Amino acid sequence: MTEVSIEKLTKDYGQGPAVNAISLKIAEGEFISLLGPSGCGKTTTLKMIAGFEDATAGAIRFDGRDVVHVPVEKRDIGMVFQNYALFPHMTVEQNLAFGLEMRKIPKPQIREKIAKVLDMVQLAGYAERYPRQLSGGQQQRVALARALVIEPKILLLDEPLANLDAKLREEMRVFIRDLQRRVGITTVYVTHDQAEAMTMSDRVVVMFGGRIAQMGTPSDIYERPANLEVAEFVGQVNIVRGKVGGGMVSTAFGDVPVTGGHADGTELMLALRPEAVELLPVNSGAAGVPAKVLSSYYSGSLVDYRLELAGGATVNVQTFPRTRFADGEQVLVHAPAERFWPLGSAA
Amino acid sequence: MSKPFLTLYCLIIYAFLLAPIAVVVIASFNSGAFLTFPPQGYSFRWYVVFFNNEVFMRAIRTSLGIAAITMVISGIIGTMAAMFYVSHAGRLKETVRIAMLAPLLLPEVLTAIALLFFVYSVGIGTQTMFGMVVGHVLITLPFMFINVSASMESYDPSWSMAAQSLGAGRFTRFRRIMLPLIKPGVIGGCLFAFIISFDVFTISFLLKGVGMSTLPIQLFDYLRTNFTPEAAAVSTCSIVLTMAVVVISEKVLGLRIHRF
Repeated sequence: MTEVSIEKLTKDYGQGPAVNAISLKIAEGEFISLLGPSGCGKTTTLKMIAGFEDATAGAIRFDGRDVVHVPVEKRDIGMVFQNYALFPHMTVEQNLAFGLEMRKIPKPQIREKIAKVLDMVQLAGYAERYPRQLSGGQQQRVALARALVIEPKILLLDEPLANLDAKLREEMRVFIRDLQRRVGITTVYVTHDQAEAMTMSDRVVVMFGGRIAQMGTPSDIYERPANLEVAEFVGQVNIVRGKVGGGMVSTAFGDVPVTGGHADGTELMLALRPEAVELLPVNSGAAGVPAKVLSSYYSGSLVDYRLELAGGATVNVQTFPRTRFADGEQVLVHAPAERFWPLGSAA
Repeated sequence: MSKPFLTLYCLIIYAFLLAPIAVVVIASFNSGAFLTFPPQGYSFRWYVVFFNNEVFMRAIRTSLGIAAITMVISGIIGTMAAMFYVSHAGRLKETVRIAMLAPLLLPEVLTAIALLFFVYSVGIGTQTMFGMVVGHVLITLPFMFINVSASMESYDPSWSMAAQSLGAGRFTRFRRIMLPLIKPGVIGGCLFAFIISFDVFTISFLLKGVGMSTLPIQLFDYLRTNFTPEAAAVSTCSIVLTMAVVVISEKVLGLRIHRF
């Protein structure tokens, strides 16, 4: 088990930094996701941790030892590539044996370790197959097994689920997460898919433009986003604007208390997640703001509504389909004050 | 095109390509004293003469030796050039390609004359077969390069990266991952190099060492003064040898091992 510490890591290809002085500590056995849109520097960061890219400046430490000048093959990492990168001219067994042979492990032990890891990824009996004879999901698991069988210090995954279909992707999320917990290996996972990052990680690192925008547990990121960019990148969000007055923000949903010493009169943006909003029938007599249903999208377990508030603002709401409202129907909208999250003053 | 017509068309093309070879082979079994077609009778007479002709036998050995040396050198340089071209050339890619293919674009005789001037002006001369080997490598290199770079195009660089992440150094990555995967291109290129070197005339003629002769040169020399079916026998042996190289390398080394 290895602790990874990254300090002021920078990569500059010559047109301004692709990764800009990021610092990050990854605890032993922790599962960290680097999340962000393409070009945000997440893959470059991963490649620097792996050693495929040289750092322009900064340090990468595995258990306190700076590895910046250690070549990839000596870093003792396990890496899973987006396209799996299984050696097509080798069987599953030969693929798995490769890393062990590089470590000069005796043959009987190699066989033992391979049997064990194949069992772990539920591919016992597939040792003699060639990669082309396996499905995408199976290839993915072989790639994972190949990275784990060498018992590396850290496991690095570069968008490993991007090439799988939706259903398999969800299965593999759980599979990888369970496996990682069982093995207890420090893991860095790169993805642009926020759902993937949220469900799998202990902590998520959101990156924009080569910088860390926010770092925290999935619920930190989702419920307390650091800024507008993070709030909009991670899931759906309504941005509610309102003026501050006496510790309260007056919004279309009513007055919402805020902390943080905003001066009276500043216009503030608040994040409100669609599922935090309740919809009630008009005749229920409950507290709420009147609104009209513009459109609704039914997806089985959930319904997404688009509503127009009395003041003309639109708001997206996600509810369980227990009570359905028709398009054009008048409803009451209620959002609990604690579900609003301040994002800073509006520009 | 309808199927029977297509078949006929293919047969005609094959006949056009193979007929001269067939004529040479048939003529080599002539029992008469002159190179005529159709032969006046059939015998192995001229093969016996050929195999007992020390001059021809020495020329064949020289040709095989030079073809083998050329193949190895061209194979190494061509593979390295293709690796550079595919993964490191960057913006120079097109320039590198044109430079590598240039020997194909120049008339062979110009290359030969230029090389002749060159080997004399740097003091190597034609006392040894060094100049000739350089010439052979030069004209076989494009074929090596084309073959290897074509098979490199389907090589995924992440295979090397994966091997590296598993602890393989530069040499191991090449030997255990890249080489097996580009093997069809390397073997194909080597075959081309061998056969072209075995067959080349102009360069050998100008750059050959003193008193040294390759098979095509010896044959040309012979035909200037003689017109016996021995020449056809020599040619036939040369054809058989070339084909044997192709067939054996395909069987032993396997050109079609990888189908993804």
